[in-house]
Amino acid sequence: MDKNITSKGRRDWYQLDLSAIVYPTLQRRDFSSVYRLSVVLKEEIQPQVLQQALDLTLPRFPTYKAAIRKGLFWRYLEPNDRPGPFVQEDVKNPCQPMSFKANNRYLIRVYYFRNRIALEAHHSLGDGTGGMCVLLTLTATYLRLLGHEGIENGGFVLDIQGQPDEEELEDAYMRYANAKVCPPRLEEKTYRVRGTAEPFFTLNIIDGIMSVSQVMTVAKRYHATVTEYLNAVLLYALLQKQREDGVRRLRPVKIAMPVNLRRFFPSITLRNFITMIYPGVDPRLGEYTFEEIVLQVHNYMRYHLNEKLLRGDITTNAATQRNPFIRVVPLFLKDFVVRMFYTKVQDRNSSAGLTNMGTLQVPEGMKPFIERFDIYMGQPFSRRTNCAIISFQDTLTVNFASSIVESDVERYFFCRLVQDGIHVKIESNR
Amino acid sequence: MSYCVNCGVELDASAKSCPLCRTPVLNPNEFGRLAEAQMPFPAQKAQVEPVKRKDLGILLSMITLATAAMCGILNALVFQENAWSLTVLGACVVLWVLLEPIILFTRQSVYLSLLYDGLAVVFLLYMITFLSSEDGWFLGLGVPLTVLLTVVAEIFTLCVRKLPRSFLTVLLYFFTAAGLLCMGIELLVNRYRDYGISLTWSAVVLTVCSVFDIALITMLSRRRLRDSVRRRLHF
Repeated sequence: MDKNITSKGRRDWYQLDLSAIVYPTLQRRDFSSVYRLSVVLKEEIQPQVLQQALDLTLPRFPTYKAAIRKGLFWRYLEPNDRPGPFVQEDVKNPCQPMSFKANNRYLIRVYYFRNRIALEAHHSLGDGTGGMCVLLTLTATYLRLLGHEGIENGGFVLDIQGQPDEEELEDAYMRYANAKVCPPRLEEKTYRVRGTAEPFFTLNIIDGIMSVSQVMTVAKRYHATVTEYLNAVLLYALLQKQREDGVRRLRPVKIAMPVNLRRFFPSITLRNFITMIYPGVDPRLGEYTFEEIVLQVHNYMRYHLNEKLLRGDITTNAATQRNPFIRVVPLFLKDFVVRMFYTKVQDRNSSAGLTNMGTLQVPEGMKPFIERFDIYMGQPFSRRTNCAIISFQDTLTVNFASSIVESDVERYFFCRLVQDGIHVKIESNR
Repeated sequence: MSYCVNCGVELDASAKSCPLCRTPVLNPNEFGRLAEAQMPFPAQKAQVEPVKRKDLGILLSMITLATAAMCGILNALVFQENAWSLTVLGACVVLWVLLEPIILFTRQSVYLSLLYDGLAVVFLLYMITFLSSEDGWFLGLGVPLTVLLTVVAEIFTLCVRKLPRSFLTVLLYFFTAAGLLCMGIELLVNRYRDYGISLTWSAVVLTVCSVFDIALITMLSRRRLRDSVRRRLHF
């Protein structure tokens, strides 16, 4: 029996997974690694029913009904039985910093606004896939409480009566971090968007809503997938921005893109199971046409997205955590070093972030009630913009979140889509 | 339904200008409808939820207060040889003043906190004078040393916060402060012991700090050297 399981059969603490170790160390007064997922329904949300649904749903996700605590060497999660979390009316400036000691120590927030249910979660609990399971299970429970019949479990909707599977709570990195070598990390300073910081705490959101079939047709024209095409458009926008900035020294332009490792390594974990890849182009080598950027991204993805290289990557990341000399270093020293490494190296490794959750599959019975989904990567660590993409049926949503006044990158991005013949509808909180 | 004439994107019915390029929306057919249209996002802004540390603050205050009071009673009723409880009182004041900006008054200026720390140390030293046979050291050495330490700490903090900050510049401020502090300590000690104005050990420290400072200034002024050092020393 696992030594951290209580006599009641419930685990009384959870180790943070390999990615989750990093996020709490980056916590600042004005920054938390918080992401946001939202679903737009076709009818107005009833807050009391939503609260009831949340109370029924959350116990099914023990690692989300948790508080983060500090140990001498590592942080850990422990079950949180305090009252809450409580649903609240949505705000104009989402993804606010999340103190570990506020909100009854819960690391999730649930908002409602007209037809929209939004879930904000700290990244140390899990990645977008785990968060989406919580949101969709919550939405299914909410719809069932409203009396809608025929909403079955499956996919992202879990059975709230069932017990969580051990594999849902595991740190899947450790199962697959078993390559014989640790390939070195490539680190390079990249172009950083210069912008005017917004006052504390503002998150500028620009959503672009378009048709999946239109984007697919255009992507096919360039012999690329939707992700590759949109990646190339963002790179193109960043190159334009760098040129417009008139910087003296050109730098490579790269995008930090999380890859869902569940696609390559079978796992049903609800915790973090992602790794980063960095597609990019180097304008110091010469001018890139848009077609060349697409080709570059296409080739990069083909080369890097395979089980072998990804296994090597996670083994390199896990090697640090496994090192006995690092394990015995007190937490405050680890925090200092990790924060320094992230600020000086990791954050400078990319010019923007982009994530694509792909086409979301929901149970047939839920489809008539859902209009679309939105996903936000949250406030960027430094002054830049983050882009998140999600599709549902024929609606593809591109959500930009930034904490700078200028929206040049977003403008170049959407103008390029319009030039390619895609109809884009813009919504914003600016 | 409006489109931005500049970007070509469709805009939300409530948009008064294009969020991408700030071009105003002027659609003569939809003037009335703009006011009716609902914004896609809420208008209400939220504040970051504060962490409630008041309870911890009250606990800390009560513990320090109780320690000082109980030691005072113990001193008055049981161990009456000398006024040792005044030292405990001074230590409790120092502890409380050191921790209050972290727990209770988190928005207090760091300069003010350092000043209060200095005053608390002076208070502790004054309390210790009740235990010593003579108290000339308090005004002759204790107070000047505390003032020196406080001033150096204030200036170091000011430099770190207001001047350009990087790993190398903070090291520069640190070595300068350490050198000046050691020199000041030796001068004050010599003055107190009537040795005149002369430097011995602090001159060695000052020399070492100056060498480090010169090396750091050279690194900071030569771009290639600075980049090279940063590359090699990056964490």
